Amino acid sequence: MEKTIKIIKELQKEGLIKKYAVGGGIATIFYVEPILTYDLDIFFIPLSEGVLTEEQKELITLSPIYDWFRKKGYKSDKEHIIIEGVPVQFIPVYNELIKDAIEDAVEVKYKNTMIIILKAEYLLAIMLQTFRPKDKERIIKLIDETKIDNIFLTNILQKHKLKEKFDKFKRIYYGK
Amino acid sequence: MENKNFSNKKIDDLFKAKEEFHKKLAKLPFEEKIRILVKLQKIANNINSSSSKKHNVWKISL
Repeated sequence: MEKTIKIIKELQKEGLIKKYAVGGGIATIFYVEPILTYDLDIFFIPLSEGVLTEEQKELITLSPIYDWFRKKGYKSDKEHIIIEGVPVQFIPVYNELIKDAIEDAVEVKYKNTMIIILKAEYLLAIMLQTFRPKDKERIIKLIDETKIDNIFLTNILQKHKLKEKFDKFKRIYYGK
Repeated sequence: MENKNFSNKKIDDLFKAKEEFHKKLAKLPFEEKIRILVKLQKIANNINSSSSKKHNVWKISL
């Protein structure tokens, strides 16, 4: 994964993405026990500022990235690019929560490189938004297995109108 | 009645021990967690005998 991250940093240096951070399962693993996942999610802010529509992001942001990797000899597998043995999915910013999450990401050490990952509180908020069954499982893991800054989390949830959803979630799963 | 209470306590202790075990795993170094992840991917692929459910196991140096 170290080599994968180094290549992604090159992508940023060459100006194809403005800012990025690891999210999804791999970022979650940093905070909780190892969970099964198969890809590396890279949330990124494209060079063109602002939040893009589905159509815009497809044409403007992802094609240059796929082209860059193709020219370097990396293969793609449906929506993933296999970068140094790791299937990577590039996810352009699609709402304000993701933008805030990327802007406030943190650097953590992995072997001899630094990886930028989303903070646990932002991961939790994003999972609340997407709310698939595996997101609900991961929310519980984050609550149970890592230290969550509750004030920081509350601020995020209130800003992105997720506080009520989280309170309901806690009532269902924790009875409080 | 005593046996039932003991049994309930034993079960509570077991669940608490499980919780502590998960928290301990959460504190492993990131590198170690990624090593475990790759092992999990291989195990899951072995269990999923149907090729439609197989995924790419990461080919990384551990």
